[in-house]
Amino acid sequence: MAYKKLLDKLRQFLAADQAAQRKELDSIRKVTKKLKSKARELGAKLEETLPGEEHAEIAAKLEIIEAQRSKALKLIRELRSGRDQEKAERPPGS
Amino acid sequence: MTRRILLTILFMGLGYGLWLSPSFKEIAAGVALFLFGMLSLERGFRSFTGGTLERVLRASTNRLWKSISFGIVSTTLMQSSTLVSLVTISFVSAEMITLAAGIGVIMGANLGTTTGAWLIAGLGLRVDIAAYAMPALVFGVVLLLQDSRTLKGLGYIAMGVGFLFLGIAYMKSGFDAFTQVFDLSAYAIPGFAGVLIYTGIGMAVTVIMQSSHATLLVIITALATNQISYDNALALAIGANLGSAVTTAIGGMTADLGGKRLAIAHVFFNLLSAVVAISLIHQVAWTVDYLAALIGIGADDHLLKLALFHTLFNLLGVILIAPFTFQLAAALERYVRFAPKPMEQPRYLYAGALETPGTAISALRKEVGRLYDNAYDLIARGLSLERALIDSDQSIKDAVRATQRIMPLDVDDVYERKIKSLHSAIIAFISETQGRGLEGASAEQLYELQQASRNIVAAVKGMKHLHKNLSRHAMSASPVVREPYDRIRAQIAKLLREIQQIRTQEAETVTSLSLDALKLSLETSSQQFTADLNERLRGQRLAPTVATSMMNDEAYSFEIGERLIEAAKALLQPGSVHDEAVENMLALDDEDIAQIAERQSHANPQGAHHGLQETTR
Repeated sequence: MAYKKLLDKLRQFLAADQAAQRKELDSIRKVTKKLKSKARELGAKLEETLPGEEHAEIAAKLEIIEAQRSKALKLIRELRSGRDQEKAERPPGS
Repeated sequence: MTRRILLTILFMGLGYGLWLSPSFKEIAAGVALFLFGMLSLERGFRSFTGGTLERVLRASTNRLWKSISFGIVSTTLMQSSTLVSLVTISFVSAEMITLAAGIGVIMGANLGTTTGAWLIAGLGLRVDIAAYAMPALVFGVVLLLQDSRTLKGLGYIAMGVGFLFLGIAYMKSGFDAFTQVFDLSAYAIPGFAGVLIYTGIGMAVTVIMQSSHATLLVIITALATNQISYDNALALAIGANLGSAVTTAIGGMTADLGGKRLAIAHVFFNLLSAVVAISLIHQVAWTVDYLAALIGIGADDHLLKLALFHTLFNLLGVILIAPFTFQLAAALERYVRFAPKPMEQPRYLYAGALETPGTAISALRKEVGRLYDNAYDLIARGLSLERALIDSDQSIKDAVRATQRIMPLDVDDVYERKIKSLHSAIIAFISETQGRGLEGASAEQLYELQQASRNIVAAVKGMKHLHKNLSRHAMSASPVVREPYDRIRAQIAKLLREIQQIRTQEAETVTSLSLDALKLSLETSSQQFTADLNERLRGQRLAPTVATSMMNDEAYSFEIGERLIEAAKALLQPGSVHDEAVENMLALDDEDIAQIAERQSHANPQGAHHGLQETTR
């Protein structure tokens, strides 16, 4: 996985103001939602499909979506922990 | 409009004739049945093309005499010069045989078609042919009801023969009855004027009926009942030959370049044969008398003598033209060229769109989308598949397997007119937009669209290389060669279908991340293709030279797929800047895709065909 890319993103995120940070998180949630709905759709199709070539293809598509969703979750986690850490390091009242 | 008026006049004339005379009714029914029989026969033989006919055609056209012999034999066997011409045209268009070889086949087909006159004159009118028609029709219908494609094809052929025989029988009895009430021979025109007038009539009748066989049937039956004189019958036969050239010319005008050149060669051949036959009609008639006596045809057997005349003057044409076939082909290639067709003009790139970065990018995205659509058309045709089929939910796998012929396509011409012209306009517009100073996300989108346009062009160029080998091997009679090419065709078609499905989804639900699944499919099918090829090489089922060509072609196919996926990404309407950034972050890179492909090949070693086969259903 491209951790360097994730860390760069995190650095950019922390440098951005709060409004931008919120937009960023909203976008991740929006894309994750699309992925989730696609995964649900494919899952239902997979159940209806008999084992065979088409079944294997749908399973492959699901695996791709899972990999993308796990990337998204990791990103959200990193962003949140980075934000919490930043809050903790900030002097009180600032 | 003219066509409609002519059709109305024809219907009215036929209607009046049918109402007026019962014998005309019988003759017209005979012609109709005969024509239907021809159509049925052609349909039957068509179901066998894509195999034997193509294989023999390819193997028997390396020498002129072989091409001519192929034309004679195939047309004699199938009694359809139209079908032979059609297959020849598609081969010349796909550059699988040379134009000279094609001309040879056409000359041979002209000679082969004269056997029809022999069959009608020698057999059709001398025996009770209707008695043979009945069993052919009965067996034909039974075969037609079968599921097997081969049996169905045989059914059409049997039905065709049945209807041909029935048509001949009706014509014969119609003319017999007609003779008792009407004497057409009173209208016989002697001398050269008669030759010209009857040649014109023969030509017109053939153009109307679209079949020189049917005209010859009418001529021979009329001659058998003395409704026309022998001299006029000879002129009518010349006219029938000319008429068939006119029908080919009409068909050839709508064909591609190869078709046009062959149609012109056909017209030239028939015209020259006709001019020579008309100018030397007495000499040819004398030769017919001499040869007829030599081979034992009676002096008053005008039917067989007419068939001999028909063969002889076509043979004369072959003798006159065959020595100059290569010069004729060279002249046609030199002088018959594509009329320059207008270049595709950009539809969305106008000066006003440059006013704001938003309008410029939106216009560009639409224009690049148009470029993609043009490339889609070209690639689909290059795969010899209809775009409508790819866009539908029909099985691609079945369509690929059922393909019998490579669709004619001049990739260079379409590239120049529909791809390069638009790509140039897009690049010019991008450069203009950049000149106005774009920053941030807009500059990035502009760059992505420029890359998309370049990717589309690269995919088309890949198709150009691939198309050459598809023309050579995709319809191979050997399954070991054909199957890998079927897989390549199916893979690209499937990719085009899936990209199109993604492109037409609602903006709220679509994400460019869906394209990652296509990358995986491309990767796994490529791996499987190479593995299968290696296995065949190890098993010595494939020659290394053929395997190398296949590997190169698979590489072109992979390149086309990769470029199309990249282009499609830029064409999807992006959400906000943040959405696009997030999608880029979550997209799987090559390493991720390779890992998943690896896992899949371990988990599913047999079914890893899936990249090609499963999706193509």
